[in-house]
Amino acid sequence: MRGPARQEAARSDVPLLVGCTALALLALALPRSWGLSVATGLRQTALRPIVALQARAAQDRRSRFELAQVQRSYDSLAVLVQQQEALRRENDNLRGLVGVRARLSHPTVSAEVLHRPTLTDTRMLLLDVGTAVGVRMFDPVVTAEGLIGSVVSAGPTSSSAMTWANPDFSAAAVTADGRVSGFIHPSASVGVAGPILELHGIALRDSLAVGTVVLTAGAGGTYPRGIPIGRIVSIGRDENGYDRVYRVIPFASPGAASHVVVLTSPRDSLYPRSVRPVTSP
Amino acid sequence: MRLFRLSDRRRRGRAGDRLRVAFVLLILLLLEFYLRPSIVEGQHGLPDFLILVLLLLAIREEPGVGALTGFLIGLVIDVLTPARFGAGILANVLVGWGASWGRSIFFADNILVNGALFFIGTWVRDVLMLLFSGTPLRALPVEVLLWAPLQAMSTAVVGVIIVVIFRDWLAIRIEA
Repeated sequence: MRGPARQEAARSDVPLLVGCTALALLALALPRSWGLSVATGLRQTALRPIVALQARAAQDRRSRFELAQVQRSYDSLAVLVQQQEALRRENDNLRGLVGVRARLSHPTVSAEVLHRPTLTDTRMLLLDVGTAVGVRMFDPVVTAEGLIGSVVSAGPTSSSAMTWANPDFSAAAVTADGRVSGFIHPSASVGVAGPILELHGIALRDSLAVGTVVLTAGAGGTYPRGIPIGRIVSIGRDENGYDRVYRVIPFASPGAASHVVVLTSPRDSLYPRSVRPVTSP
Repeated sequence: MRLFRLSDRRRRGRAGDRLRVAFVLLILLLLEFYLRPSIVEGQHGLPDFLILVLLLLAIREEPGVGALTGFLIGLVIDVLTPARFGAGILANVLVGWGASWGRSIFFADNILVNGALFFIGTWVRDVLMLLFSGTPLRALPVEVLLWAPLQAMSTAVVGVIIVVIFRDWLAIRIEA
């Protein structure tokens, strides 16, 4: 009796496997934007309770284990702001005297990172904020240490951010002194401390010293100028020999980031959507 | 009449078994989505309770159901971490099918075998996900030989503890 029943079950197993595999391959073949749309849609509907539960867990962890650290950061920042207030006023006065407009300010949204224990987690982070609080596609994501990446899909209450560890990541970069610019993207190899970046597009005549700090260049419409990216640790050469390649250790680690800041409007100094005047206190 | 009572009792017993298994899986889901993120952050080497849900279901069911469970769990993973949509689905479908098929062919009810199943299932799933999500070849060795085994080990240890605690509910006989 068990034999035929088992054969019957085995006959229904193969269509199930083939169907599931075909759907998985179809999902893999989808353009990235379509895949992200499907994921965002499911996150806002069927999986919304799970995202909410994870966000609640992250908030509980922060309040339970990281309150003292948050308080210390808050105190040190308060002292720093007090010290720099005089400097800021002086700067505003000087800008007024020479007729230079105020620097663009970037409204920010704080977000918790909802990590998953998968090995690909560092390439794409799930954030617990979305369009309801002003987060939009292409908004830069940073930590206190430096650049993490940018938002690639946003739903009302959650969003996905592509990090610098994602093979598709690329950003215009410039050295801290503003002398040399190029573009940065993740290295195909992994360093001792984890994934690293490579600075490309540097002419052979421009040599940069090890230890040089690299910032975002503000070109391209996504990242504003001046976000710290990392520090040059070694020098290589392009496979074709056309330019130098610099290996850059990033300042911010997507895997270790539990709390990030999303820079909302305006997103780029070259293409401002609005110019906010600096209000004097 | 007696036969009817017997089959009725068996059906009720089977429903009770399913309820108990569902309860264990619910505990694993709560561990995955609330308890672990409320205690630790980061992802390297932490146990993955979703793959335990998949493996515990797959070894109880037919391979087709294992593949379907893998599809649903892979979909959840891809929706929450869409590094490459579809990579998690495909990896979990193959692991769900493989675990169920392997269980029906040659797995013994032994604590070490169960632990090895959790370890290999997690490691294979991780490697497949890395491959399908387009990980650069030069970055693969560190992930495959360091981080994936680390997560597989922690998942296997937690899986064995779950099996030992809930062996009666999961109807898993554990021979020495």
